[in-house]
Amino acid sequence: MELPDLKTNASQFQFPKFKLIPTKMLMGLLLVLGMALFQTNLKAQTTPKPVSGKVLGASNQPLEGVTISQKGGTKMTLTDKEGKFSISVPGNATLNFSYVGYVAKQESVNNRSEINLSLVQENAVPEEVVVIGYQTIKRKNLLASVSSVSAKDLKDIPVNSAAEALNGRLAGVTASTAEGSPDADVRVRIRGGMSITGDNSPLYIVDGVQVENGLSALAPQNIQTIDVLKDAAATAIYGARGANGVIVITTKSGRQGKMTLSYNGFVGVKSLAKKLGVLSPYDYVIYQSERSRGSSTDSTNFTRNFGTTWDTLANYKNVNPIDWQDEIAGRTGVLQTHSLNASGGNKKITYNFGYTFNGDKAILLNSDYKRHLLNLKADYRITNNLRASLSTRYTNTNVLGAGVSSEQGSSYSRLRNAVKYRPFLSNNQDIDDADPLADPNVGNGLNLVNPISLANAEYRKKTTDVFNITASIQYNITKNLSFKSTFGYDDSKLIDRQFSDSITPYSVIQGSRKPIAQLDTVTRKTITNSNVLTYSISKFKGKHDFDFLVGEETYDLKTESHTQLVRNYPTFTSPNDAFDKLGMGIPFTGYPKLNKTRYTNLSFFSRINYTYDNKYYFSFNVRADGASKFAPGKQWGYFPAGSFAWRVKNEKFMENVRFISDLKFRASYGNVGNNRINDYLFLTTFRNDGTYYYGINNQAVTAYYSAGLVNEALQWESNESQNYGMDLSLFKDRISLSVDVYNNNAKNLLLNVPIASTYGYATQLQNIGKTSNKGVEFQLNALVIKKADFTWNSNFNMAFNKNKVEALGLNQKLFFPAASWGVSGQPTDYIIRIGDPVGSMWGLVNDGFYKVSDFDYDAATSVYTLKAGTVSNAGIIGTVQPGSVKFKDLDGDGLINLDKDRTIIGNPTPKFTGGWNNQFTYKNWDMSLFINFSYGNDIYNANKVEFTNGYTGNSNMIDLMASRWKVVTASGQTAQWVNSAGKVVGIAPDQLSALNANANIWQPIKGTGAFYPSSWAIEDGSFLRINNFTLGYSLPVEKLGKMKISKLRFYFTANNLAVFTKYTGYDPEVSVRNSPLTPGLDYSAYPKSRSFIFGVNASF
Amino acid sequence: MNKKYFNKLTFLAMMAMLMVITGCKKFLDQQPITDVSAEVAFSDVPSAYKALAGAYSRLVGDAGFGIRLSLYYTVDTDEMQGPGGAVDNDRRDIARYSATSGNAQITNPFNQLFTGIEFSNICIANIPKMDKYNNGSEQEKKQLRRMYGEALTLRAQYYFQAIVNWGDLPANFRPASELASSNPFPVRTNRDTIYNQLLADLKMASELVPWRTELAAIGDPLDERITKGTVKALRAKIALFRGGYALRSDGTMKRNADYLTYYQIAKDECNEIMSSNQHALNPSFKSLWKDQVNAHAVADPQGELMFQASGIGGVAAADTKLAYYNGPTVNNLGNKSINVLPTYFYAFDSTDLRRDVTCAIYNVAADGVTKVGQAITAICDGKYRRDWITNPSYAPTNAIQYFGLKWQIIRYSDVLLMYAEAENELNGPTATAYTAVNQVRRRGYGKAIGTADATVDLPTGLSKTTFFDAIVKERSLELGGEGVRKFDLIRWNLLAKKITDTKAALLAMSTLSAPYNTLPVSMYYKTGSTSDDNSFGGLWANSFYKAAPTATPSGTTRVVWLSAAINTTALSRYATGFTTGKSELLPLPQPARDANINLTQNPGY
Repeated sequence: MELPDLKTNASQFQFPKFKLIPTKMLMGLLLVLGMALFQTNLKAQTTPKPVSGKVLGASNQPLEGVTISQKGGTKMTLTDKEGKFSISVPGNATLNFSYVGYVAKQESVNNRSEINLSLVQENAVPEEVVVIGYQTIKRKNLLASVSSVSAKDLKDIPVNSAAEALNGRLAGVTASTAEGSPDADVRVRIRGGMSITGDNSPLYIVDGVQVENGLSALAPQNIQTIDVLKDAAATAIYGARGANGVIVITTKSGRQGKMTLSYNGFVGVKSLAKKLGVLSPYDYVIYQSERSRGSSTDSTNFTRNFGTTWDTLANYKNVNPIDWQDEIAGRTGVLQTHSLNASGGNKKITYNFGYTFNGDKAILLNSDYKRHLLNLKADYRITNNLRASLSTRYTNTNVLGAGVSSEQGSSYSRLRNAVKYRPFLSNNQDIDDADPLADPNVGNGLNLVNPISLANAEYRKKTTDVFNITASIQYNITKNLSFKSTFGYDDSKLIDRQFSDSITPYSVIQGSRKPIAQLDTVTRKTITNSNVLTYSISKFKGKHDFDFLVGEETYDLKTESHTQLVRNYPTFTSPNDAFDKLGMGIPFTGYPKLNKTRYTNLSFFSRINYTYDNKYYFSFNVRADGASKFAPGKQWGYFPAGSFAWRVKNEKFMENVRFISDLKFRASYGNVGNNRINDYLFLTTFRNDGTYYYGINNQAVTAYYSAGLVNEALQWESNESQNYGMDLSLFKDRISLSVDVYNNNAKNLLLNVPIASTYGYATQLQNIGKTSNKGVEFQLNALVIKKADFTWNSNFNMAFNKNKVEALGLNQKLFFPAASWGVSGQPTDYIIRIGDPVGSMWGLVNDGFYKVSDFDYDAATSVYTLKAGTVSNAGIIGTVQPGSVKFKDLDGDGLINLDKDRTIIGNPTPKFTGGWNNQFTYKNWDMSLFINFSYGNDIYNANKVEFTNGYTGNSNMIDLMASRWKVVTASGQTAQWVNSAGKVVGIAPDQLSALNANANIWQPIKGTGAFYPSSWAIEDGSFLRINNFTLGYSLPVEKLGKMKISKLRFYFTANNLAVFTKYTGYDPEVSVRNSPLTPGLDYSAYPKSRSFIFGVNASF
Repeated sequence: MNKKYFNKLTFLAMMAMLMVITGCKKFLDQQPITDVSAEVAFSDVPSAYKALAGAYSRLVGDAGFGIRLSLYYTVDTDEMQGPGGAVDNDRRDIARYSATSGNAQITNPFNQLFTGIEFSNICIANIPKMDKYNNGSEQEKKQLRRMYGEALTLRAQYYFQAIVNWGDLPANFRPASELASSNPFPVRTNRDTIYNQLLADLKMASELVPWRTELAAIGDPLDERITKGTVKALRAKIALFRGGYALRSDGTMKRNADYLTYYQIAKDECNEIMSSNQHALNPSFKSLWKDQVNAHAVADPQGELMFQASGIGGVAAADTKLAYYNGPTVNNLGNKSINVLPTYFYAFDSTDLRRDVTCAIYNVAADGVTKVGQAITAICDGKYRRDWITNPSYAPTNAIQYFGLKWQIIRYSDVLLMYAEAENELNGPTATAYTAVNQVRRRGYGKAIGTADATVDLPTGLSKTTFFDAIVKERSLELGGEGVRKFDLIRWNLLAKKITDTKAALLAMSTLSAPYNTLPVSMYYKTGSTSDDNSFGGLWANSFYKAAPTATPSGTTRVVWLSAAINTTALSRYATGFTTGKSELLPLPQPARDANINLTQNPGY
């Protein structure tokens, strides 16, 4: 089939309706780059002659629909089903062969009449480009430290969240989920998070526009590449907010060619990856009996709840244990994704349109996650010099389920119920009955509730709608000068519905045991606009490449939040009724609340790149950012950066070093800023939102109050970074290695610092101190085996980071951030101290427990007294008894006290982290195995502290406490107790020692000290995780041809297959608090699951 | 190169840049939308009133007088004791003087008092600067002057509460925004210095705030807000503490040599209140509590309730748990966490009507009306009772924990007793001192307040010392369960002695030793009775002061009265951790010390 000249035939789909465009010019432009490089002899043969042939693709299968066009001419044709073509061109012509998914190839006719060739699939040859801020450049010309993930890598990772896919794959980039819930925050940290301000997540740029919700509003299936910019050379152009690194995401565009339909989908199952062992019903009752000794109230309660005599307690050996963890998190979750994509286009317009559905019925009772994403991206070449592109996305996410953790502290955290709740049912109790014995008045509101009835009583539904549109127009004013304007609009709306039925702690405490409903609506509207002018000259006098960029950007974010809080619904109101009929209840005083803010930012930036002879590369950029978050006079921050690279490979002396295919050294220095703080903090403001009010004349008078301690001096935080790197490629790029060494110093940190509470506020936002992050990163890629049938591609990365607090505020050497868990008033468990890592864990050092031999015994009165000279714990736990927990007396004064005997007990920063990914292909099979690891970080296992103490009556403990110090003999006699005078009374020392001969842990702590942090709760969080294993099979193309399917792949994946760790909690990748000041806390995290997935990738 | 395009575009770009640069200043100048500036919050009387409401608001809530300051921190004196149960690093440990710096219930109250100080400081700094303060209408000026005085009074109240619980503290008399950045870690200031400032502030406030009968003239309603009487009464009270004993940073209980100066201030202030005739005693002690306090009454015809912390809203942040945490339970709802010590019950004269208001010897059955008599170790404090609550009342099945009751900080009877105490200290037991005490006593016994009555008046001819002892006792009988006892005993340096005496007396009671050997071992209440009258003849079928019938009279139910249980349930947990030289103050909360390295700990902790 031959297409005649376009001027005479405009009926084919390739070039419809655009007659106005000078076709020659268009064709010429397409080849303009090639023109410069090829010597063409235009004087040669010019008479058209027929040329025919066959084009083959992968596995030597014929390719249908390959576009064959004459270079510099007008002729073009397509191959037929057998891959054959014929075209009439002059004998000196060059033919261009292009096909979607394959690398275009040019072939000189050289007077031949038959040309047979094979095209190579595109991803086999990585000629990568990288987006580095308003520009794309070729990876090999890169001066900055950038890591990338492409669609090819993402296909092996069938996960619902794009962020999850990043974890461990890139040197210096960690993406960890705080917990296992389907909508868990994925915390992406680049080089340990350079800033330690509240939010140190990186800046997300999607298709050129800053996007707030980052990776959560994108389907992994729609992502073409993710470029992670790590050093200031790359990030400084983003100035504001670039401090924590920049993640640049490019979504898939359409390609020229006929429409391709593709379907990617998977279905999988998931299950709880690990459970904690708890005491059996009998052991539980025995402990409750033990706990009740010495208090008449408690003994009475015990008798009422569990029986009267010691002997009848043996009956509990026969009751059916209930595994509450299994009951609430033991179900099989179902994970599914269906993604349908259509893409195609012609020389004028290319498009990509897709719909993705993600479903995740998580393992926790009543939790569910559903997300619908629609995306459209279109590029329109209006004239040769004018291009427009449009990208829109709409995302709707529904998350059901209250989860298990809460920043509000322990009484609202739910996981504890699944571990601590009585491990059997009482008489006549159904499994989902609320507890007839429940005592709502236990200390600190830590009462326990039947986990099933609690899960049913706490309804939560979060609906997020995000609409995003990005439009850009690029005009090439001259060959060297172009202008690009980008406009972005992002509208997100979150509706969060929380319903607390009568048995929930919230309703019990604040709602007279009647249902409470909370309805939050948060909208965020962002408008961005950037205008960039680029001037570039290449090969000036053969050796000088130069480009210059200048631009301006505005950012305007408006947020609005409404909160309604209603109580006193009739008992048995359903959640839906409660939200639909708010009038059935009575609003809390001061509600509804409304809060609105607006943040504006204005920036100017410029960059100059200069390359000499492809050997020496220089780049300099500067950005000025003005932000409304600071007081006039402090609004502007200036962020310069410069970098230099030396392409050693292009030097003469390297010409003959064949095995080195590329070698480059890089150095960069830059300064970036950070202003991620709330608005208006530099102004004294008063709020009247109903938070405070006072009863006058039995009416609530709502108050104007000062919501925070103002700081007029707030200014930009600045982060200075130095980076030295080397890129080495060996054996025709079969092996490539990048090494980066960096030294980042942040100063004027914007920190919410605890201030003297006698000023009436808990914290104040201040610019204080300095921190440093120093580190080394390695990234090694190797095509280990490359045979016709078999390839093995291996990718290894590893990063070492060391982080330190260098300075703090005026006269300040340390402060203690609070992680807010446990009970109020407990000592803080983290420290920020000069010379130590950020967020070090702080507490007492555990020293086992007191033995009988630590006490003198008075046989006459049966009283145990601590021996003179033995360190006393009384200041921490009250009366010291044999079997009491013991701490180290660091200052040697014989007494344990919080002032002098606390020290750093844990370091949350890993010594190194990394990942190792292996991809194999064998004929039509493909397999990948991805392992990630972390070494040397500590985790604060706060769960363990709560799950081993006896603070709350009738609560169970983890099974490790079965071997505790016992105070009741086998025959039920009280062996040891504290009398009303505070003296320890007990059986004879030899008997007490014999009773506890096998004890290897202390008595559960009941009162003071029950929630104190100690070194015992700090555990090594090193791990090695078999994160992902995938096995895929692609049907051979010959079989597919008949089905009109161009590609069909089936695969099986296992996520989180195994974790090797010494950590005793649920999972070592955990950090439940958002603040970087309190990292590595494991408290009431949603348990992680293991999933097995079956999926399909198909293209039509 | 297409020059035409280029020129056009360059021109457009330059125009755009110019517009952007000129517009940029405005673009970056963002002002709060839902929040307001200080100028707006303090622009007129209604807005300043809202800011003042913020200063008032920190009186209440769980961490204020809603429960912690009023009920957790004030027990295990010679009147009341805290709840039973095991050590808990929480309220029980506080009641028993076993709190440590990590106790769960000391941080929030500490912080809240200082939030109250800050909110007051903001009003104090801003109200006098308002244009209307100097240039408004006469009424506006007077209303704003009153608010300024109220803010000064509130700050004094917050500091006073903080000092009696924690001793010396950092002094900040300006808003934190003016102090925190230059002095981020303030040291503790001697409480005498702070008290002096508070006394001076209150002196000024008493000139700004009108008497309660003068409110109508400035257009303010008569309600729970502070009036001149409040200011003066608080000044008298603080003066007595300034002149009283306190645990000093060296671990000793001391008072200053010039203490009489402060007794003089107290006497003068009380005297001015008394001679103003603005305040009087409600003739009925029971009606005062039942029909006024528990009935959410705002109208206070006698003006006896001189300073109230007024809860509302039904939430932990703004209401009070009075009658839920303490007082008798109804339908098992409530914590009944405050118990009257058996010794205190017997400190009342059998004809003293205050006994059966202060002590509730029953809980209420599920029907909300039937009373169930309680053993001697389970007597609840009775001034705040759920079964007394009206306007509105709550069904016995209602699980509500917050009733919007008002904690009484200062009553007129306190003023009378302070006057008598100060006068006695300065001039001995003069006639005016006698009259002041006797007014309180007569009302307590249901007699005519203004008429001398030898049956209830204090015996004449008391010495200065015995008159003082009578005052010590009278304050306990009159103000029992109102959170003043512990701090009174400390300023008299009597807490250690009274605790020791109470322990001995409880032990004697539990063994039925003299002088308790004639008291009943059982009490019988009338089964099914709905009477809230605790007395013999009301709910009870036998006398509290005579040997009990051995057989249960028909129609009655027996409860255990004097028995060994007094030892095992009451005494065994009573003030177990008390150590003099330490327990007179609470430990500074660890988080507050962690946040401020200069905040030293109190002696003994």
